[in-house]
Amino acid sequence: MQFKDQIDFVRQHIKKNRLRVFMTILAATMGTAFLIVLASVGFGLHDTLRGEMLSNRLVTEIQVHGSDEAEEPEKQVDKFKAMENVKAVLDQQKLGTYPKIMLGDFEGYFEFVVSDFKEEAKVGFELNKGRLPENDSEVVVGSHFATYLQNTTEVKEGEEMPTYEGDLIGQTITFEIENNEGDLAEEKLEFTVVGIGKEPTREWVMDGRVFADASIIPKIEELYQTSEEEQFSLFYHSIMVYADKLENVSQIAKAIEEDGFYTYSVASELEQLDVFFLALKAGLIFVGTIAILIASIGIFNTMTMAVTERTREIGVMKAIGANPKLIQRLFIMESAWIGIIGTIIAIIISYGVSIIANYLLPIIVTSALGGEDSSELNIVFSVIPWQLIVIASCISIGVAVISGWRPARKATNIDVIQALRQEL
Amino acid sequence: MIEVLNLSHSFQIGKKGKEKNIPVLNDIDFTVKKGEIVSIVGKSGSGKSTFLHILAGFIVPQKGHILIRETETSAFNEVESAAFRLENFGFIFQNFQLMPGLNAFENIELPLKLKGIEKTERRRKVSALMQEVGLDHVGDHYPNELSGGQQQRVSIARALITDPPIIFADEPTGSLDSETEQDVLLLIQSLNKLRGITFVMITHDEEVAHVADRMYTMHDGRLVEGSVQHAI
Repeated sequence: MQFKDQIDFVRQHIKKNRLRVFMTILAATMGTAFLIVLASVGFGLHDTLRGEMLSNRLVTEIQVHGSDEAEEPEKQVDKFKAMENVKAVLDQQKLGTYPKIMLGDFEGYFEFVVSDFKEEAKVGFELNKGRLPENDSEVVVGSHFATYLQNTTEVKEGEEMPTYEGDLIGQTITFEIENNEGDLAEEKLEFTVVGIGKEPTREWVMDGRVFADASIIPKIEELYQTSEEEQFSLFYHSIMVYADKLENVSQIAKAIEEDGFYTYSVASELEQLDVFFLALKAGLIFVGTIAILIASIGIFNTMTMAVTERTREIGVMKAIGANPKLIQRLFIMESAWIGIIGTIIAIIISYGVSIIANYLLPIIVTSALGGEDSSELNIVFSVIPWQLIVIASCISIGVAVISGWRPARKATNIDVIQALRQEL
Repeated sequence: MIEVLNLSHSFQIGKKGKEKNIPVLNDIDFTVKKGEIVSIVGKSGSGKSTFLHILAGFIVPQKGHILIRETETSAFNEVESAAFRLENFGFIFQNFQLMPGLNAFENIELPLKLKGIEKTERRRKVSALMQEVGLDHVGDHYPNELSGGQQQRVSIARALITDPPIIFADEPTGSLDSETEQDVLLLIQSLNKLRGITFVMITHDEEVAHVADRMYTMHDGRLVEGSVQHAI
């Protein structure tokens, strides 16, 4: 029998029992839609958390910390640079005290960070305006630097201190620091602002840092040190190794750890998050599968009734020469058809439910929390990736085929003589 | 065409462990030549239907040999038997055994579908045959919209559509009135003459059996060849 004739044959039988088949398809649809929607919540929350993590930090970054076995990773910077798949190594050094920075009548105390800007350029130090420093007299300031520069001289009682509102690029700022005896150093340093950093992704984070080139360190230390005796570092190192690709992060981190250092990377945190959500999603799919299994009882029932009703027809077909395997295939095709149609409808419904959930739930949650603007709630409740569609389809159609298997076997085992003796 | 040697068969009845062996066919020899109409008559329970079922491959015999078109069919498995039936046999049943969900045209077309014949070829063959057996005006009628005689004609057309060399007829006129019975028997005879098809016909009615070239009588599982008088 040609395949299109087999399809025709199945379609004719389905048409004959329209209502019963429709109810079975409905059950299969509900089961499959339940699975997809349930698992989509797992996918949605995973995506939200992943997106949150990735938007805030560089994914290829590995923070390196000293341990009892291996202290001072800053001395190993060249070794880290020589490692395979390493794109850049940053040795960002924070000044142990907050220097006083002045611009005209405006002043404030700022976090002061020095770094190697050749390396920073490799990992894409993001600027909102201007360029990176090229010598020790140039600096880049954080996006909120100006809001921390306040004019203390003109302040009147009950009024807020005015902040700097002019253009920062090209302005010269004065740097003043307390020495190791607690007095303001006599000498001051001057820097030209050449760039303004990009605003942090999180709205509530304020970046008022000042970034200078590492070549300025000796000059600052000179200002700080009043005597030869007390020699200790004024800067705290934070070493960050950048992999060329996300896939290489764990391999580089492992190699660094083998040297006795501690490492931390978003990638390792992501790995743990992914493992957790993989287990959660598998659990949700398992629960959803139970709904499909319940629907499969309906498919089994429908197919068993179909075989019982058509016993005489099956007998006639076998008598005139139908291959028993063909009869089995026709019944399996019928149950697979129920599964396929049920799955297609379920996918359409699931996407609809997902869109509605993502639209309505933030509004409901926001109003429950007493807020007004639901767009502030940056959570995606339901995501249906193609992988979930594939998994759900395989489970649904697979279960439908398995449900039809036994009735189909029963059909092939029908005794021709007994079947032909059945009354019309 | 058909040669049966020392065929014996019995049925087991009763519960497991307490089965009883009921012999149905006993040492049967039977021969049919190409182009013959052979009838087997016998009372109910004589074993004639069982014999036909064994010839058709519905039952595997316990003993003996069956050679049909020089092929030993008695040891066929279910799949082999089905394939052999589709190629070599046509069936006419007492109660027509038409598919209630298919119309006359589709019922006749069914064996061609099973053989995997293309749709256009199927349409051509079925239309031609329906005209030949006088069914051209009832193609779209369903079995419950046809008279007994028309249903049996559809059943005969379905048996003929694959041009089988052998047709087994199990009480082909059993459900028909005497006038329609004559029509059907005449049709069988003409098909035998025109197409050279071999017919093996089972009936309890000796009158019907007389359309055959040769007649066998089945009695208590034994088959005896009897003489033939051409009544029609």
